[in-house]
Amino acid sequence: MGSGAPTFECSAGCVVMTANRVRTLALIVVAGALLAVWAFPVLWALLTSFKTERDVLAYPPSLIFEPTLSNYRDVLFGSASILPNLVSSTIVAGASTLLTLLFAVPAAYALARLALPGKRASGFYVLATQMLPPVGLIIPYYLVLQKIGALDTYAGLVVIYLTFSLPFAIWLMVSYFEDVPREMEEAALLDRAGRWRALWFVILPQVRGGIAVTTIFVFLNAWNEFLFAVVLGGNRVRPVTVAMFNFISVEQTLWAKLAAGAMLAMAPVILLGLIAQRHIVKGLTVGAVKGGGRT
Amino acid sequence: MTSTLEERERRFALLLFLPALIALVVTTTAPLVYLAWTSAMRIDLSMPWLSGFAGLDNYAHMGADPRFWHSLWLTLIYTASTVVLQVVLGLALALLVLRIPRGQAAMRIAAILPIVLAPVVVGLFWRTLVLSPDVGLVDVVTRALGLGSHNWLGDPQLALISVIAIHTWQWTPFAFLVILASLSALPPDVFEAARVDRANAWQRFRHITLPLIRPAVVIVVIMRTMIALSAFAAIFAATGGGPGTSTEILNLYAYRTSFSELNLGYGAALAMVLLAITLVVSFVMFRVRRAR
Repeated sequence: MGSGAPTFECSAGCVVMTANRVRTLALIVVAGALLAVWAFPVLWALLTSFKTERDVLAYPPSLIFEPTLSNYRDVLFGSASILPNLVSSTIVAGASTLLTLLFAVPAAYALARLALPGKRASGFYVLATQMLPPVGLIIPYYLVLQKIGALDTYAGLVVIYLTFSLPFAIWLMVSYFEDVPREMEEAALLDRAGRWRALWFVILPQVRGGIAVTTIFVFLNAWNEFLFAVVLGGNRVRPVTVAMFNFISVEQTLWAKLAAGAMLAMAPVILLGLIAQRHIVKGLTVGAVKGGGRT
Repeated sequence: MTSTLEERERRFALLLFLPALIALVVTTTAPLVYLAWTSAMRIDLSMPWLSGFAGLDNYAHMGADPRFWHSLWLTLIYTASTVVLQVVLGLALALLVLRIPRGQAAMRIAAILPIVLAPVVVGLFWRTLVLSPDVGLVDVVTRALGLGSHNWLGDPQLALISVIAIHTWQWTPFAFLVILASLSALPPDVFEAARVDRANAWQRFRHITLPLIRPAVVIVVIMRTMIALSAFAAIFAATGGGPGTSTEILNLYAYRTSFSELNLGYGAALAMVLLAITLVVSFVMFRVRRAR
C-alpha cells in the first residue's frame, strides 16, 4: 500500500482512469469485507437472538427462519430473568460514575490550571495508577472487603471502581480544562468573583462537553467491568456481565437466550459509543498522549 | 493573617486535588502494600489452619513451578503477538480506508462496535456463536471450504491461537482509529512533493508517512501492551485458561490460584510478579518514547 493520499498515476495519457476506478472498487470491497468481520459477530448474535433454540442448531445455518421474541421475553421476565442484573449494573455504573466525576473534575482543574504543589509528581502518580493490572488488586480487595463485611455490597464495588475510572477521568478532564482560554478565568478573578464562583460559573460551563464525554466513557467502562464484579459481587450485587454466564453451563448452552441477553446488556454501551463516536480516539489515548508528553 | 495571592491559589489547588489523591491512595496504593504483605503470607482458604507468615517462601516456590514459567511464556506470546497483529492490521487498514473516497464514516462506526463491547461478552460470543464446533460461524466457513470441523477452543494449540484472534478482533479497531486519525491530520502537500520526486509507493510510506505517524503508532504500541498485560475477561469467558493450562497467561494463573484453588498467598506473589512486569515494561516504553 502506498501513502495516504489518493493516487493519480497518469503516466500514459490518462487511459488509466478506468483502471483507477477498478482499483477504487477493489479497495471498497476489501474495506467492506473487513467491516463485515467486525460487524458480523454482533449482527449474527442479533439474528440468533430472534431464533428458537432449535433453529440455532440447524446446519447449514438458516438465514430464513420464523423470528420469535420469546428469547427476549424469557430473558426479561422468565425464571432466569436478567432484569435484576440490568438494575444492578445501572446502580453500580451510575453511582461509580457520579463518585468519579465528583473527585475527578476538581482534581483535573487543579492539575491543568492551578499552581498545585508537586504538580508533575501528582500527574505522574495519577498516570501510574492507571497502568495497574486489575488482577494485581483483586486479592487485597477481596481480603479487605471480606474482613469488613463489604463483599456483595454496592458500596464496596462502587468505591473500588474508582481504581480504574478515577485516573482515566482525571486525565481526560485535564485535556478539556487546558482548552479553556486563560483570559476567561482571569477576567472572572479580576471581577473579585472568588475562585469558587469563577470555577462554578465561568470555567465549568466551558467544559460541559468534556464532562459529558467523560461521563459516557466512565459509565461505559464501569458497565463493562467483569473481574471485580465476579469476585467481589455475589447474589445481591450481580451486574449483567456476570449474569451472562447463567446461560452457559457444562450440560447445555442456551444460545438464543445468551444472544438475547447479550443484546440487552450491550445495547446501552453501543448507544453510548455511537453518541460519543467522534470523541472515541481522544478517550482511548488520553493517558498516553498526556503522560508521555509532559512528564 | 494576610496571605499572598499565590499562597491562596496553592491552598485552593490542594483543596481541589486532595480528595482525589486520597481516593487514589486508598483504592490503589494501599491495596498494593497489602498485596505485597499478603504475598509474604501463607493464606490457603482450603487449609486455613496452615495460614501464617511465610517470608519469601511463595517466591522461592515459583522457581520450581513449571506452571508459573509456562504462564510467563504464554503472557509473552500473547502480548507480543496481539500487539504486533493489532498494529500491523490497524495500520494497513487505516492506509486502505484513507484511499476510499466514500464510506469512511461507516468504517469508523463499525470499528467502534467491538471496542465498546464488554470483553467478557466478546469472549462469550466467540466461544458460542463464532468458534463452537459445528454451529459456530468459523466452523461453518471452514466446513464449507472443505477444511473440516475443528475444536477451536478445545484443542490446546488452536485454543491459544483462538484467544489471540479474539483479542486482535476486538482491539484492532483501536489501532485503526488512532492511526487513521493521525493519517487524516497529515498535510497532503508532503505527498505531492514526494510524488514529484518520483518516489514509489513503498518509499513514500517508509520515508514520509511512517515517520510522520510514528507518535501515533508508538502510543498504540504502549497502550495496547499495557492492556494486553492486564487481559483477563475475554480469555476467562472463552476458555477459562484451558484446556488444561494452554491459554493460562499469568493473569489467569494468579486468578485461578487465588479464587479456584483458594491459595491467596501464592496468588498474591504471582500478582506481584505481574505488577513488576507491568512496571518495568511501562517504564522502558516511556523511556524509549521520551528519548525520541
